[in-house]
Amino acid sequence: MPSPPRFAQQLFKWWCKKADADDLLGDMEEYFRYNVSKKGKLRAQMIYIKQVLSLSFSYALKKRKRSASYSNFYSQNSIAMLNNYFKIALRNFSKHKLFTSLNILGLALGMSICLLALSITVSIYRSDEFHEKKDRIYQVNTYIADDSEDKTYASTFNAVGDYMEGKYPFIERSVKIKSGFRPEFIHHGNPMRFHGYFANESFFDVFSFPIISGNPSTALQEPYSMVLTESVAKKLFKNEDPIGKVLETEYGSFNVTGVMEDLKQTHFYFEILTSYSTYEQLEPNSTLNSDWENYRNNYVYLLLNPNTAKRTLTESLTQVSEQAIEFNPNRTIELQSIILEDVVPRWNVSNALGIGWDQPSLMFFMFIGLLILLPAVFNYINLSIARALKRAREIGVRKVVGAEKNQIKMQFIVETILLTFLSLVGSIFIFIEIRNEFLEMVGSASVLDTSLNFTLVSVFILFTLLVGVLAGIFPALYFSRLNPIHTLKGEITNRSGSISGMKKGLFVFQFFLSLFFIIGVSAIAKQYRYVFNNNHGFESDNVLAIPLRDIDKQVAINELKNHPDVKAVTTSSNLPGIFLSGTEEMTPNDLDTINVSQVFIGENFIENMKVKLAWGESESLSKSTQNEELVLVNEQFMRSVAVFNLQKDSLTFTLADGTKCRIVGIMEDFNFEPLSELIDPLVFRHSLEESNYALLTINSPDIKKTIDDLDDIWSSVDQKVNFEATFLNDEIETAYFFLTAQIKIFGFLSTFAISIACLGLLGMVSYTTENRTKEIAIRKIMGASSNGLYFLLTKDFIKLIVISAIIAIPFSYVFYDMVFLHFLIRYGSGLGIIEVLLSIIFLFLIGFVTIYWQTSQVANANPAGNLRYE
Amino acid sequence: MKGTNLGEFEELVLLTVASLGTEAYAVSVKSSIAEHANRIVNISAIHSSLYRLEDKGFLTSEFGGATSKRGGKQKRYFRITNTGLVALQQSKDLKQQLWKTIPQLSFQLV
Repeated sequence: MPSPPRFAQQLFKWWCKKADADDLLGDMEEYFRYNVSKKGKLRAQMIYIKQVLSLSFSYALKKRKRSASYSNFYSQNSIAMLNNYFKIALRNFSKHKLFTSLNILGLALGMSICLLALSITVSIYRSDEFHEKKDRIYQVNTYIADDSEDKTYASTFNAVGDYMEGKYPFIERSVKIKSGFRPEFIHHGNPMRFHGYFANESFFDVFSFPIISGNPSTALQEPYSMVLTESVAKKLFKNEDPIGKVLETEYGSFNVTGVMEDLKQTHFYFEILTSYSTYEQLEPNSTLNSDWENYRNNYVYLLLNPNTAKRTLTESLTQVSEQAIEFNPNRTIELQSIILEDVVPRWNVSNALGIGWDQPSLMFFMFIGLLILLPAVFNYINLSIARALKRAREIGVRKVVGAEKNQIKMQFIVETILLTFLSLVGSIFIFIEIRNEFLEMVGSASVLDTSLNFTLVSVFILFTLLVGVLAGIFPALYFSRLNPIHTLKGEITNRSGSISGMKKGLFVFQFFLSLFFIIGVSAIAKQYRYVFNNNHGFESDNVLAIPLRDIDKQVAINELKNHPDVKAVTTSSNLPGIFLSGTEEMTPNDLDTINVSQVFIGENFIENMKVKLAWGESESLSKSTQNEELVLVNEQFMRSVAVFNLQKDSLTFTLADGTKCRIVGIMEDFNFEPLSELIDPLVFRHSLEESNYALLTINSPDIKKTIDDLDDIWSSVDQKVNFEATFLNDEIETAYFFLTAQIKIFGFLSTFAISIACLGLLGMVSYTTENRTKEIAIRKIMGASSNGLYFLLTKDFIKLIVISAIIAIPFSYVFYDMVFLHFLIRYGSGLGIIEVLLSIIFLFLIGFVTIYWQTSQVANANPAGNLRYE
Repeated sequence: MKGTNLGEFEELVLLTVASLGTEAYAVSVKSSIAEHANRIVNISAIHSSLYRLEDKGFLTSEFGGATSKRGGKQKRYFRITNTGLVALQQSKDLKQQLWKTIPQLSFQLV
């Protein structure tokens, strides 16, 4: 027999509120059944809905609602009831310790990643709140559209700052910032590289960064003045006062004019600041204040006068845009402003200053967190409903003594919320433990303040409430719908023998996720091994790298060569296998330029490092003349040049600095940089002066003694320069730090996913076996063997794990082999079958141990005792 | 409340309740009206007039008779009160008197 449309019934009940409308519903249902038999189901449902609507507005119901509203003896949930719910919940928790601890642990693990994502999100949204004038500071953005692109840039034209400050009186100050200041300090013989911005003198007036020493309004005035952050100052000067000190860099010598506190909670990301006038001096040919063409890496912040409407700014920016279009005729240009607090996170903006947090990556992070949390929530729902048998009688009694459906729902939601709050305590502990580890991986996240403050804790509590309601709503609905008569008679259908389709789906999802992450870990670990077991196209074993610094290079090399264990010595400007910084431009013809990496090498580099030549020879490298330098290039270089289809001698070219080069040899392509980098056009030039490292090929029975000997030799050449030797292989290993970070992240996630999946498995297995105790006992008495029982109890679960593996394998293959690893390591070895197999075996093992642990208790128990169970 | 006069539909409902005796509830009233008067009426209209009649004191109601046919929900049975019977009687008498005053001729023409 069909029943009336549920939603219409629910709607009607809701509309009736407290009024008793049981008989009305009954009448309608009776009529509905009559209609079904006469006119068919569909017509009957239509009529039912019509009835509901007309009854809702009829006198009959209005009268009932009016009279019901006078009675006040019955309220939905009073404090006393809530107290009772708490008490019952706590008793239940302590009664079912396994269930409680499984859920608390699972939810705590799941929530901790979300807390991490939340804390980062919150602190990013709260960036730049500390500036006193934050309501009046705007960043100027540039929207540029032409044939090839259509983007909004956080940066703007060089001329905008000066132009606007001069033209519009409502602008109080403007701050001009240029990014990309990366000087290398030579400090006590050690080179140190810091990154920072060029900023004009109004920087500290507009922004409220705390200054420790120095005059904030003049610190960035003079050319070659520099402001350090506290940690940089500590690194360079220990406890000395840095003000007035001179720092030598490749840009020239800088005066330290101020020290500011380390950055906290801001979208800026720099270690040092130098004055904008420095940039003008470094680039004397550029006319910054009339440049309406370059818009990259140049940022303008405007401080408006108090009480200036945003519209005034918008209007003036429209005028300035027109000015900009005059210089860029083929483009659509629109200057926009964004208030300081909204600068991060943005949805999509190019060339952002500083860390440039964007909303998509925050959402992705949150998504990962939820991906871990959801299985834990599912576990809770599963386990709670699986326990229905145990709680049903309680619900029955409650209903009989007058509990409403809503009260039962309330009870379960309160109980779940209580549980999630217990998990919150646990997950905050986990959160604190993993926070620093994680922030280190993100790198620039150090400016974020993720310590527990009021806002963060409130966000956590809100989040926990949400999780509690979400996890509690399903058990609540299930329990509130139970029929009291059935529950009291113990007639709840015992579905424990089989697991419902939804639960099966959940299992498969959980194990799929776990397997996916485990395969991720092993895939990256394989790349890690691959990187070190395969050479990059040069010899890195037994090669000692020694930074040359200020020592007399020729003398040092000659002396080192004399040691009997040193087989060969060469030098180079960059260590092979490490990232190269920056590129040079070269002009194959007179019009175009291509970017090439250049490396300076000493004698015998090619022979010692066993780099293969495809053509030519390397002997004559040192025979360069004044007019023409002899160089080596790689095959990629030749390919890049070939694009231009030059009609002249392809073995000569000119570098951007004017050096004329002639190619004497072509190297086979090899990975001079880590395997993640594309093989770029590469030029090897010969120069001992430019070399920074000595590369010693060692063959020694006692490596420690050899290094000590070399140290002595070094000191005999020059005592002032530190001797420092590392193996090239170790240096290469540190260059792959990004892989280590990835392994850590995937390790984290897979541990969490596996733990949660196993907790869920454990819970389900324990409850299904518990519910089948009697059945097992009877089977045993009838003569079932232990092995047969294991098989019986585990086969369902094993089947599910197998299904999840079948789904996970092709998915992981496509994801890791074709997408992820390709981005991570361009020249890697891909995903191997062994890794996948090992991952599956690992997961099976864990799953099986979990199942076995539970089933063995039941299978080995005394059947006589079990028959008396319950 | 608009006095204690009976409207046309109210009178019909009241009469049906009276004729159904102890078995009068909304659905049975509805089907009885459909049968005798050949009128299809909304349940909400029946309920509204039942409660109006109850307000006027012509009907009393009580709960009972839940059947699985109704999804286990109770019925609200209505019974006619003495006041109700008197009101019906008065209405009938009034009409009777008016009938008698109609001239015979015109009666035949109809």
